[in-house]
Amino acid sequence: MTTANEPYVLNIGPQHPSTHGVFRLRVVMDGEVIRDVDMIVGYLHRSMEKLAEERTYTQNIPFTDRADYLAAMSNNLGLCLAVERLAGVEVPERASYLRVIFAELQRIASHAMANGTMVSDAGAWQTPLLYMFREREKILDLFEMTCGARLTTNYMRIGGVSFDPPPEFWPALRELVDEMPARIDEYYSLVQDNEIFLARTQNVGVISAADAINGSLVGPALRGSGVPWDLRKAEPYCVYDRMDFEVPVGRRGDVFDRFMVRMEEVRQSTRILQQAIAQIPDGPHKTEIPLALRPAPGEVYGRVEGPRGELGFYLVSDGTPAPYRFHVRAPSLINLSLLKEMAVGASLPDAVVALGSLDIVVGDIDR
Amino acid sequence: MTADVRRPATPMEQQIREHRSLVQRALALGGGWKFILGVVGLGTLIALAAGGFLVVGGYLDGRWYDIRDLGIPTSHLVYWMQAQGLSPAVPYLTTALLGGLGILSLVGGWLVIGSWVERRVIAKFQIRQGPNRVGLFGLLQPVADAVKLMQKEILIPLGADRLLFFLPPILIFLPAMLGWAPVPWAPRMSYVDMNVGVVYVIAISSLGVLAVFLAGWSSNNHYALLGAMRTVAMMVSYEIPISLSLLSVVLLTGSLQLSQIVAWQQQYHVWLIVVLPLAAFTFLFASTAEINRTPNDIGEAESEIVAGFHTEYSGMKAGLFLAVELGNAILVGAMMSTFFLGGYTLFGLELWIPGYLILATKIGAVYFVFVWLRATLPRFRLDQLMGFAWKFLIPLAIIQLLVIAVESMVIAQSGLPGIVTVGGSIAVNLVLTFVGVRAWASGIGYVSEAAASTPLLTNTVGGLRAAERIRVVS
Amino acid sequence: MESPGIILAFWIFSAITVAGCLMVLVSRNLLHALVFLVLAFLGMAGLFLTLSADFIAVAQILIYAGSIAVLMVFAIMLTPLAARDNGNSLYVLPALAAGLGIAGIIGFVAVNSPWAQLTGDALKQGDPDTTVSVIGDLLVGRYVLPFEVASILLFFGLLGAIVLVHERRGARESS
Repeated sequence: MTTANEPYVLNIGPQHPSTHGVFRLRVVMDGEVIRDVDMIVGYLHRSMEKLAEERTYTQNIPFTDRADYLAAMSNNLGLCLAVERLAGVEVPERASYLRVIFAELQRIASHAMANGTMVSDAGAWQTPLLYMFREREKILDLFEMTCGARLTTNYMRIGGVSFDPPPEFWPALRELVDEMPARIDEYYSLVQDNEIFLARTQNVGVISAADAINGSLVGPALRGSGVPWDLRKAEPYCVYDRMDFEVPVGRRGDVFDRFMVRMEEVRQSTRILQQAIAQIPDGPHKTEIPLALRPAPGEVYGRVEGPRGELGFYLVSDGTPAPYRFHVRAPSLINLSLLKEMAVGASLPDAVVALGSLDIVVGDIDR
Repeated sequence: MTADVRRPATPMEQQIREHRSLVQRALALGGGWKFILGVVGLGTLIALAAGGFLVVGGYLDGRWYDIRDLGIPTSHLVYWMQAQGLSPAVPYLTTALLGGLGILSLVGGWLVIGSWVERRVIAKFQIRQGPNRVGLFGLLQPVADAVKLMQKEILIPLGADRLLFFLPPILIFLPAMLGWAPVPWAPRMSYVDMNVGVVYVIAISSLGVLAVFLAGWSSNNHYALLGAMRTVAMMVSYEIPISLSLLSVVLLTGSLQLSQIVAWQQQYHVWLIVVLPLAAFTFLFASTAEINRTPNDIGEAESEIVAGFHTEYSGMKAGLFLAVELGNAILVGAMMSTFFLGGYTLFGLELWIPGYLILATKIGAVYFVFVWLRATLPRFRLDQLMGFAWKFLIPLAIIQLLVIAVESMVIAQSGLPGIVTVGGSIAVNLVLTFVGVRAWASGIGYVSEAAASTPLLTNTVGGLRAAERIRVVS
Repeated sequence: MESPGIILAFWIFSAITVAGCLMVLVSRNLLHALVFLVLAFLGMAGLFLTLSADFIAVAQILIYAGSIAVLMVFAIMLTPLAARDNGNSLYVLPALAAGLGIAGIIGFVAVNSPWAQLTGDALKQGDPDTTVSVIGDLLVGRYVLPFEVASILLFFGLLGAIVLVHERRGARESS
């Protein structure tokens, strides 16, 4: 004789400490087990793509800052690369190296935030988050030194970067890069022996490689499921083909693997930074382009490997300074579709931790 | 590259650089302050010497000014009142009132100071400073918090049951206060030194369960009910390991009276945490579940269901729930100190330092351990928690109970000197703890999760076939 | 006779107990009735204390107010909403009659049985050290058979509960 349960609907509402922004989850629960997940997005929609159709390409760069606001440099880079391909603009070598440096710094900062908030979702009262924020603070300081802003940097320009970093940038960067490996080892040691954390994250939220590819998963989540796909290796842009680094790939596709893939990517980013600092030449930091750049009519899809995955820009030009169509392929939105697969059949704490491991930013989802 | 140039310091960097710790500030004091401090230090030394002379010479024992045990002045007061010919009710009521005021001021004071202590200590763990704006060193922060909570509007949810909504904050505060009754602060200083102290402690803590459930139920809110269910399940499950570990203590010391348990530890010059390590750990861990602290705070898991059973409470009602979490923490600290850490005794030091100060220090130490656990550990999932209680803690506590039963009989009835019997018990219990726990864990099929997988590093790029290639190779 | 303190305590606790029980009968909402029942339990614990039965008093709080009340709350919660109204019942008159009858029988037995009369100071003289030790001696001495039978009964109750809620593979955790 068993008792019957009727499922009830739980609304993890737009304002919630752990939905990583204004994002609504309607969860149909049967006791402690989730039966269905309904994701309602759009609370942060700012109609970026429509507004972009009335502005020049350079004026659209600040919009991209605010799409994935935790990875502004990567967003800027994506748009600039796409426009350069469309308009046939050459980028000086120093600018490419600077772009790589800032993209990797942004990757470290974003992964610190992603991993820290995921461990906070598992319950650790922000302590690991605040430890990882030490490095993020220094990186944001570097950003502020160079372009004046910490978060919405608006740094890349079509044809290069907007400012050459000041003289005090390089010693600070070198200091950061030198102490990073020791810090990463510290974070590894915090996690590897913590049984509670391992019990909360291993075999939770497993996505197989086939499911990941079918669901168009990208970024560290995809690599955590075992698929070795990184755009920096597959379609090298800027000067990534001159850098010697490796791509970490997980084994089981669970939350812990995604966490470790991000930690390892921070280590690889440090390697890239060291090589970039050593190899960077002198020279101009951008090519001059007309104020209202009129690319030839056509379309382009330019993509970069942001901290969250493949960030793509689909641009259609009709010869005018403003794009005819401006579309952002948002990694967070497409990654989010796999939450349903992970959450159904799991309990609520597991679903929360799995959502944290997907590393979504609502600005990216809603644009 | 360019020359090594440093950027001029931002105002925040200047502030960080100029920040000096307490020790640095003390050392940097001017000459006048140092003289005053020197005089004060000399005076303290003289006072300590005088105190030592009084203690050694026996001038303090049993006099009315013997503040090492506040029960002695109280008993002198009672004799004086009886000598005046007053009815017996007057001294009874006076001592009850004095003791009650003492406990009230202790708990009330702690609820104010404790929130400051907790926030600053957690901040230290998180390499930041904690509240330091409101008042010197942020000491007025709890006052600001209390004022904020008191002036908030009391919101009662639409479908909530009035009586059942008002009752839980009161009901949950009762155990936090009543639990202090049997705690012995000095040989003659416990509020009610009842013969059934241990059972009283367990009984009082079980009243909190009802309060939690009523709070969740009456809020007419799914989140609150979910949190209340989880919390009640956890609290009820973990009452059993607490009772079993305390039963081991009672068997060994042969009495339910808390003062007798402390006296046993004094007599055998050993703390029960050494003799009963498994029971001590069980008690500590199960208590974190009883009082809903991390790593067992699944009921009020802020990152998941906002605030659990007290989501709908606003203003001072919510303040009471938060305060009771704090008050329960030091109550458990007092219990832990009394049962396992020797209570007010410290191997003879209680002749010199008042026993209540020693107990207060131990309570502070246990509370620090609780804050440490909160700042560092993530929380357990509910099914992991329940599995741990039922499959692991309870069987081990029962096994420890059986072992202790034999040992206590040996200690009490064999004619061997204490050091042999108690030492033997310590050895047996240590073996039981380390070996037995491992054996039991592997026996119930627990696989140690320490085999954390590290990611592969690869230079290949590809899709599904590349993934399978890599997996085959690794 | 007894000291005035004990007399005062007796009347206060009796008042609490009786008031709680009356409110259980009268209150409309079943959960309110439960809260008043807990009050009655606590009053009974106080009554035990006036009889110097300290262990039984704390056991009353632990078992009744702490555990059985929670059990009753779960039982009430798992029943459908309509059954939670304590108001209308067909059985008011028969219940009143039966209750008065049982109260009469118990009262008659309580008053007319020759209970062992040791209260107050006399109890203190005859008492060895603690009531707990007396209870313990009796449980494993004179009443060992009822003790063992009761423990077997509890064991079967536990088994039955596990069997009742045990589901097939994929059982969720029981509350």
